[in-house]
Amino acid sequence: MSRLARRACIALAALCFACGGGSGEDELDLFAWSEYVPRPVLEGFTQETGIRVNYESFGSNEEMLAKLLSGAARYDLIQPSEYVVEALVKEKLLLPLDHARLPNLKNVGPQYWGRPHDPRLEYSVPYMQGSVGIVVNVERVKQPVRGYRDVFQAKHAGRIVVVDDALEVVSWGLATLGLGPDQVSKESLARVRPVLASWLPLVRVYDSDSPKTALLGGDVDLGIVWSGEAAVLIREQPGRFVYVLPEEGAHMFIDNLAIPKGAKNVAAAHAFLDYVLRPEVGRKISEAFPYTNPNLEARKLLSDAERANPASYPPGDPQLETFRDIGALAADVDALFTELKAKSGS
Amino acid sequence: MAAGDAPQRPPGGAGWLLLAPLVAWAAAFVVAPAAIMLAYSFAHRGTLGGVVPGFTLEHYAALLDPVYLRILLRSVAYAALTTGVCLAAGYPVAWVIGRAAPRRRNLLLTAVMVPFWTSFLIRTYAWVTILRSEGLLNSLMMQLGLISSPLALLYTPGAVLLGLVYTFLPFMILPIYASVEKLDRSLVEAALDLGAGPLRAFSRVVLPLTAPGIAAGVLLVFVPSLGLYAVNDILGGGRVDMIGNVIENQFRGNARNWPFGAALATTLLVGFGLVYALLNQRQRAAAVRPLRA
Repeated sequence: MSRLARRACIALAALCFACGGGSGEDELDLFAWSEYVPRPVLEGFTQETGIRVNYESFGSNEEMLAKLLSGAARYDLIQPSEYVVEALVKEKLLLPLDHARLPNLKNVGPQYWGRPHDPRLEYSVPYMQGSVGIVVNVERVKQPVRGYRDVFQAKHAGRIVVVDDALEVVSWGLATLGLGPDQVSKESLARVRPVLASWLPLVRVYDSDSPKTALLGGDVDLGIVWSGEAAVLIREQPGRFVYVLPEEGAHMFIDNLAIPKGAKNVAAAHAFLDYVLRPEVGRKISEAFPYTNPNLEARKLLSDAERANPASYPPGDPQLETFRDIGALAADVDALFTELKAKSGS
Repeated sequence: MAAGDAPQRPPGGAGWLLLAPLVAWAAAFVVAPAAIMLAYSFAHRGTLGGVVPGFTLEHYAALLDPVYLRILLRSVAYAALTTGVCLAAGYPVAWVIGRAAPRRRNLLLTAVMVPFWTSFLIRTYAWVTILRSEGLLNSLMMQLGLISSPLALLYTPGAVLLGLVYTFLPFMILPIYASVEKLDRSLVEAALDLGAGPLRAFSRVVLPLTAPGIAAGVLLVFVPSLGLYAVNDILGGGRVDMIGNVIENQFRGNARNWPFGAALATTLLVGFGLVYALLNQRQRAAAVRPLRA
């Protein structure tokens, strides 16, 4: 065997070893959204417990599901949104939580209990909540914008950014028809088609990862985006941007932490859950990612400016609906969006 | 890619041994995944993603929807345009580098490859900074008084094409350079001596002799630019889907329709195979022609 080949073999062996390792008592495999769990939180947990956290990230719920279902990797904690929690519970893919090991669960606000996806928080702990709403650059848009219909006006053609998410966009159309985000059906999709067909040609940018970029750069003046993105815009340039919850009906998402079936370190997963639910840890998460913190004790530690940011904490604390698991209809939603996008573009 | 003038022998025992790693690699990372993809494309959609074993042709039937055909055609058009611009811009560059003095040649080659030292995504985001409304280019032109209000440069089809050409230009230059460098200069001189004009010498001597480089460059640019949808998302604002976006949505997006994604990918793979076979055949024909002339 040549020297090069031998080296390659050694390197391969080392790689295999590295992959195979990491299943000890003192490690926790966390599979979470990219840029959602701040590093200081992970380091603080390791310092206190000696448990190392392996943070593997994903960019969409479906990507997480794909890796989870493939069974190629085992995770101790995953971070699904509410409609995915619902589906995972249905398929019996989550382990029940031991509330005795989660004394800090009491910090979770009462409005996060009794939700249809997991009413008694038996399988999931809310991590962060957000809404989807309208951001307006008030330096450029002078007329008041109150809802989706005000955004999708001919005079705003080429000045709009929206998240690149079929289910989201469909739910906005449903809202203007007086239907909730949980009322997706073949019939409602047929009714929403002409609405979206008139909207999509007006959109300049579709971006789920960082819709704030197009707004910050002045390329567009209106956006329908995640509240956390809006909160950053308002924090960076107060006075230039405002956040509005659409009058036709807004909806929210709740991102949760849950223990999937097959987890190796259930004890460490519980320890991490309880750690994240501590007020001072929740405060650190809010600082890095200014979504709505479901941890009421953590909210008390925020600065006045943070609490006054209308994208993070909409005035009046409105009660919003969430998505539900729509099963096979997801493919129809995607096909509709793809078709209308293809027809509206050049 | 080789001109094929050396007689080809089947590899002996030692040859096969040397080939074994490559064959194993191809089997594990090319043949096996393609086979899995093919099998998935006939299966049923699973509720959470994944597939339910079975046999159906519905996913291929769904492909015939004019929407997907239109998206596919648009993707092919972008890829073809990218390839054309890369060829037009890359050939002269490759020619100059190939004819330069050895020391300058290395310097120029390094210059072509320098962009690879930075991540593709970072380079693409750099274009966002340049092209946006309040970006470098618009500010510069406003300062110089060339324009009075910012131009919409970002999130346009032009920006997508620019990004694609920028990304793939080196993949066109390098293989053509390799052909140019090998080109025997005396052949060109002979053509000129025998009365051919520069144009004729180029089309009858230079072009056929650099054809392998052109073919390799065309393949290296066309195939990946058909699948690269990140440029479309970042510089085009994701306004129209490329075929890559549609495939991604079946796995990572709301759709969770793996079999349909697999059917799309299989169709693309077969398409690439056909293009490759076609190019290969043409090249073989081109390699024979000069001998007959």
